[in-house]
Amino acid sequence: MSKYAPRKAQLAREFLEKPTPLKGARADREWWEMPVDFHDGNWCFPGKPETLKEIGFPNPRKWAATDEDWQLPDGWQKIIHDGLKERLKKFRSLKLYLDACVRCGACADKCHFFLGTGDPKNMPVIRAELLRSVYRNDFPMVEKILKGFSGSRKLTAEVIKEWHSYFYQCTECRRCSVFCPLGIDTAEITMVARELLNLIGVNNNWILAPVANCNRTGNHLGIEPHTFVQNIMSLVDDIEELTGITVNPTFNRKGAEILFITPSGDVFGDPGVYTMMGYLLLFHHIGLDYTISTYASEGGNFGLFTTNEMMKKLNAKMYHEAERLKVKWILGGECGHMWRVVHQYMATMNGPADFLEEPVSPITGTKFTNAASTKMVHIAEFTADLIKHGKLKLDPSRNNHLRTTFHDSCNVSRGMGMLEEPRFVLNSVCSSFNEMPENTIREKTFCCGSGSGINAEEFMEMRMRGGFPRANAVRTVKKQHQVNALVTICAIDRATLPPLMRYWNPGVAVYGLHELVGNALVMEGETPRTEDLRENPMAVAEEGEDDDA
Amino acid sequence: MKSNWQQIPGERKSAILEQWLQSALALFPEKMASGTPTGEALLEGMSMVLDNFDGNGESCGEGINSIARIFAVQPLRPSVALSLFPLLGELIMEKAPASADTRALKARIDAITFEAFDRFLENREKIYQLKVEETRSQLHMLLRSTVS
Repeated sequence: MSKYAPRKAQLAREFLEKPTPLKGARADREWWEMPVDFHDGNWCFPGKPETLKEIGFPNPRKWAATDEDWQLPDGWQKIIHDGLKERLKKFRSLKLYLDACVRCGACADKCHFFLGTGDPKNMPVIRAELLRSVYRNDFPMVEKILKGFSGSRKLTAEVIKEWHSYFYQCTECRRCSVFCPLGIDTAEITMVARELLNLIGVNNNWILAPVANCNRTGNHLGIEPHTFVQNIMSLVDDIEELTGITVNPTFNRKGAEILFITPSGDVFGDPGVYTMMGYLLLFHHIGLDYTISTYASEGGNFGLFTTNEMMKKLNAKMYHEAERLKVKWILGGECGHMWRVVHQYMATMNGPADFLEEPVSPITGTKFTNAASTKMVHIAEFTADLIKHGKLKLDPSRNNHLRTTFHDSCNVSRGMGMLEEPRFVLNSVCSSFNEMPENTIREKTFCCGSGSGINAEEFMEMRMRGGFPRANAVRTVKKQHQVNALVTICAIDRATLPPLMRYWNPGVAVYGLHELVGNALVMEGETPRTEDLRENPMAVAEEGEDDDA
Repeated sequence: MKSNWQQIPGERKSAILEQWLQSALALFPEKMASGTPTGEALLEGMSMVLDNFDGNGESCGEGINSIARIFAVQPLRPSVALSLFPLLGELIMEKAPASADTRALKARIDAITFEAFDRFLENREKIYQLKVEETRSQLHMLLRSTVS
């Protein structure tokens, strides 16, 4: 027998003592007996009634998670049961995930929310069990007969409160699924649970407001087309001031070769706007024939966090606009969940995009065969290809004031396997790139702690807890290599990592990859560069500096 | 004036650190294990406090801040979170020699507790600042054109 095998006495003790994830007075109870507690900082505000009415979502009303009565609609149990039944029939993956789990616990300590809170209901296995226990009570015949032994329970209003709490403490990052020996994707269970909750009006305003805005005006903030253009032109002015170069983006131009779509955070928010400036400089540098749409003015898709129908509807505008403008293919900006939708669902959901061509870089001639189905290319791939073919004039020393590390965004790394391209680009545009510890990067990356629409201000304490494992990994490289720049290729990360860093790692700023590309690009006819795109002085490389690259 | 910390042998210091860490983990509303990122960060902060216990150096303050920062976002009352520091005094007293100068130790523990209170409050205030800053960042372009 292996010397590592557990001893007989240990097994006997564990059998008799029954190890528990609960503590103190609750140690001998079952996880579902733990009461649900809502207090300031651990719940997101629900959707406003007017928002729900606008998008036709059920049960619009004023309520709060701290209310005793959540004003659920009449017959809400039937709505949930019917909704689950319908989805079990529609999504075979859901049925598989609900049936296959053997509760081995391999996923338990992989969730950033569990690591940050210690709350057992944040173990992915138990999070899934929140839904599975109800499913088991009503659906599989054998388990139904064995009620009480199978961990099944009745659907009550308390269960709904529990679902609302814990399915909004999951960022759908899928780190747990990497470690699951059966390949169960808890994110898909969370997605279905959120769909079910939306059927009875249990929801999240930080998700539904952007959905309504996107549905109405095309982007999360609901910015009208003329303001959208105005903002980008204002960035064009900034670029001119900093570099002396006038870039010329076009809007809604028919016949352009490429339609460029990016998350609207890049057009409105800090620090996303600096990434947008990087894109504009890059496209000017290579003379790209592209246009930006004021209709498909949002790459992000918060429909993903509500229902698959809403995700499909919001996503469809990309193809509609590509067809209307008669472009050849679509280039997408730095985003996380936008790419989850594009990579995993778009082709079958709204395809085939037979009015578009298989993407070919007009600069290098590279065929992006991986995008043959969606006809949509990620900008990190596009830029990596340009650099690989020597098409960019870069001066990495212009980023010498930055000592960088790279945060793999969950949806791009785990969701679409893009691990090397951003690193290749980053290594080409700066002199100091330092990896975080191995078990916190690439497919094992830790989430920012605020993805999937839970980056609400009122949820800040919980976000700081959930984001701690990521922040802790950044702290390691900050200490070891004096890292001061956390680079990422996701708009949600650019919005959520700055507060996370300000809290846990003051002195580390958050950058988009293409902001650093924009800093490093040597533009023809430029005025001498002294400031980066944030108008911070560019450091001059010091002699003998150790780069740790 | 030195407290009794320097008079405690090394192995007892390790025991104090372990007991202090376990007490800190027990404060969490749920089961928090020592091998987690939170547990390890606490251990690091606590080691910094103990290694520099007798001095008023930066490292001790940094350790206090890192502990306070972790607890400031947990659903705990300040009185519960900060009870950790008076507890340290008790643990040290248990392991200190009989001839220990109790007054010096108490004074040091008081100073550390007060500093932890300051850091805890600063971190709570930081949370509220972050909420405001985040809203402003989302509206960066709008505020830029209206404010400037």
